[in-house]
Amino acid sequence: MSLNEVNAGAGDVYDSRSIKVLEGLEAVRLRPAMYIGSTGELGLHHLVYEVVDNSVDEALAGYCTEIDVTIRIDNSVTVVDNGRGIPVDMHAEEGVSAAQVVMTKLHAGGKFDANTYKVSGGLHGVGVSCVNALSERLELEIWRAGYTWQQEYAAGIPKAPLQRMGKAGKRTGTKITFRPDPTVMDATVFNFDTLAQRLREMAFLNKGLTIRLTDEREDPIKEHEFHYSGGIAEFVRHLNRGKQVLHEKPIHCEAQRELPNGGTLTMEVALQYNDGYSDNIFSFANNINTSDGGSHLTGFRSALTRTINAYGQQENLFKDFKDSLSGDDVREGLTAVVSVKLPQPQFEGQTKGKLNSDIGGYVTQFVNERLGEYFDKNPTVMRKIVTKAIEAARAREAARKARDLTRKKTALDSGLRGKLADCQEKDPRRCEIFLVEGESAGGTAKQGRDRRFQAILALKGKILNVEKARYDKMLGHEEIRTMISALGTGIGKDDFAIDKLRYNKIIIMTDADVDGSHIRTLLLTFFFRHMQELIHRGHIFIAQPPLYRIKKGKSEKYIKDEKDFTKEIMRRATENLSVEIGRNGEGPKDTLEGAALRAFLMSLDEFEQMVRKVERRLRVPAAVEALADVTLPLDSKADFMERANIEHLVDKLRELKVEATLVPDEAHAAWAAVFRDATHAERRVDLELSGMPEYRRLRGLARQIAQYNEPPFVVVKDTRRDSSDHWTALLAHIKEEGKKDASVQRYKGLGEMNAEQLADTTMNPEKRTLLRVRLEDAVESEEIFSTLMGDDVESRRRFIEENALEVKNLDV
Amino acid sequence: MMKCPVCNKPVERSNPEYPFCSERCRMIDLGNWAMGRYAIPGEPLEPPDDEEE
Repeated sequence: MSLNEVNAGAGDVYDSRSIKVLEGLEAVRLRPAMYIGSTGELGLHHLVYEVVDNSVDEALAGYCTEIDVTIRIDNSVTVVDNGRGIPVDMHAEEGVSAAQVVMTKLHAGGKFDANTYKVSGGLHGVGVSCVNALSERLELEIWRAGYTWQQEYAAGIPKAPLQRMGKAGKRTGTKITFRPDPTVMDATVFNFDTLAQRLREMAFLNKGLTIRLTDEREDPIKEHEFHYSGGIAEFVRHLNRGKQVLHEKPIHCEAQRELPNGGTLTMEVALQYNDGYSDNIFSFANNINTSDGGSHLTGFRSALTRTINAYGQQENLFKDFKDSLSGDDVREGLTAVVSVKLPQPQFEGQTKGKLNSDIGGYVTQFVNERLGEYFDKNPTVMRKIVTKAIEAARAREAARKARDLTRKKTALDSGLRGKLADCQEKDPRRCEIFLVEGESAGGTAKQGRDRRFQAILALKGKILNVEKARYDKMLGHEEIRTMISALGTGIGKDDFAIDKLRYNKIIIMTDADVDGSHIRTLLLTFFFRHMQELIHRGHIFIAQPPLYRIKKGKSEKYIKDEKDFTKEIMRRATENLSVEIGRNGEGPKDTLEGAALRAFLMSLDEFEQMVRKVERRLRVPAAVEALADVTLPLDSKADFMERANIEHLVDKLRELKVEATLVPDEAHAAWAAVFRDATHAERRVDLELSGMPEYRRLRGLARQIAQYNEPPFVVVKDTRRDSSDHWTALLAHIKEEGKKDASVQRYKGLGEMNAEQLADTTMNPEKRTLLRVRLEDAVESEEIFSTLMGDDVESRRRFIEENALEVKNLDV
Repeated sequence: MMKCPVCNKPVERSNPEYPFCSERCRMIDLGNWAMGRYAIPGEPLEPPDDEEE
């Protein structure tokens, strides 16, 4: 059955002009997608929006405050508003009621050309007549001019003219119930959430308007009411729900401008930053979601970028940041809603998602002004926003540089040739690479290696920090890149390939000093963060160059650390001497020699180190001497809670010319001895000190040496007898003896060894010791690194002080 | 627990980006290396001699 046939049967209601109208609605039924985008879900829900939009227009005009949308059990929808009601008087041209014209005539200029109607996303402007055409039935009820009016349609065709029914009193408004026609619509079942989302949006955009959505298909009936007195500021809050926001209250501003060709432009912007990285900006023109933006969004964006840059400069927040902030930078973490309302908006594109009206300049000016005012009044928020944008810029730059690094995959480029001395062997399982810092050490290593399977990569790890007048340890871009390309694995999530690794062993070979340990920390941290697989698979090693060489005649010995060095010196010294313990001239004398003497001397040596460590805390050598007195009970916490113990300590201190006083240590219900150091700073011997490991070790060692610590000490060697009246002198004397006739060399760096020595001690697999780096070691490096790099200057200072000159040994 | 070196958020060992919280932070860190932003402060140099006028 065609529409024309129905029309013919309907008789005298229509004249020739209305036939044309019907032809229009017939076209809608023939090609629905051209008018409402699709016959699926999208188009189906657009039918509701179209009816609701008419009610919202009434709200915009100031006549409507409430809209009710109800989904009936048969998937028909009723929309009721309390606007003025569609006009019911006769339309002069059409010869039917104005309401019927609205319900049956296509809007939007009425021209049936492709440009106007090629709108698949939003059918706004097409009119409620489309909804009528696509509904198997539509009931219209109007309250206006004191009466209730009704009319019914089927497939867009009125069953009868608009009829006046009973009295309506003062009530005004419009009620439309329609059921989408299943013969033209593919989708006919409404989705509550889809409707709710759009209606909520409408309520945000029209502050004060109440929109209710009821779903009668559900049992119990489901109902939502949307009403936001805060408008789009509340919208922004809603979008940011569950997120950490940078500032509690959204920034919200609104203004109106008279347009030169008449009419008023209303502009409203709300924005709030969260701690995320993406932006979430919604723009609307006359309540239509312009998903492709347009002039209003462009205007907003350029004002935002300009204003944030201007304040960053003006408030001197850029400091060492040289560039200006880009739009992407200032939008990181931004949630914003931009809404404009203007007469006769011009849209572009198939989806009508882009506003073309030339209003960008107004929006820019408005946002510049208002955001500036806001920043002036809220400098704290302004600073947070500028700082976040600077961070974003830094991150963007870093990510760009990182991509450069990952992209360059050339295995062995020209830059590598000068720095890498590769090995001859091509089978990675047999190859090793030494990562060496500095040209000179690199040169020595190159001469000392076995070129068949050992490769050397010399890295530059030092950079002059002119500002701070010091050399910092750093691996620059070139060093990182060279290392990656030498290893062959590539880098980055998608590009790292362990099977491309060119060496089975990667050996970090650095000087045995603080600088060397810093380079090692840098390298391990880098591997841990970006090539962790190498650590998991046990490919990373640490070389152990010797710290000392002792040469006597033709025999030479390499020693890896201080402790072994002392042991060796003591061993040599005690080979042919003995020590008589003086006991202050009283009692039987002891003579120590051999293993017993060595044990005593090693204890003395460690004792000396502990004395120095405790001195670092107390700053007064005599005080440490007092604490080394094992006859005083000063070990457990309980000892410090006993007043008499500390009194004895104070006496002892005074005896040693330290002006100490006894004070209560209230926090611990204990007692403390307090005195002042050379700078008059207060120093305390208290319960807290007693818990320190160096203090405990000091006391333990003091006990160990007590038996023999009774000067004078007489060193007997052959026929010579040398007397020392203090253990420190004894220790120094013996150490000298140990070094006698031998040449002792302490290596400050790898460069001080010749190639042969380096090969023999550190590189030759037959003779060297390597430490394999485990993940835990790397985690530790990461922690050290974080401390060294951290913003916390105080903890960095403390860390360096406490680890001063003690190269952390990553023993496995 | 490990903290992401870039943003300080806690990171589980099971995270595929460990020790980072995300691909983004990993890239930022890599870029920081590439730009030489990681330098361990060294000892101050000896102050220059005053002899030079």
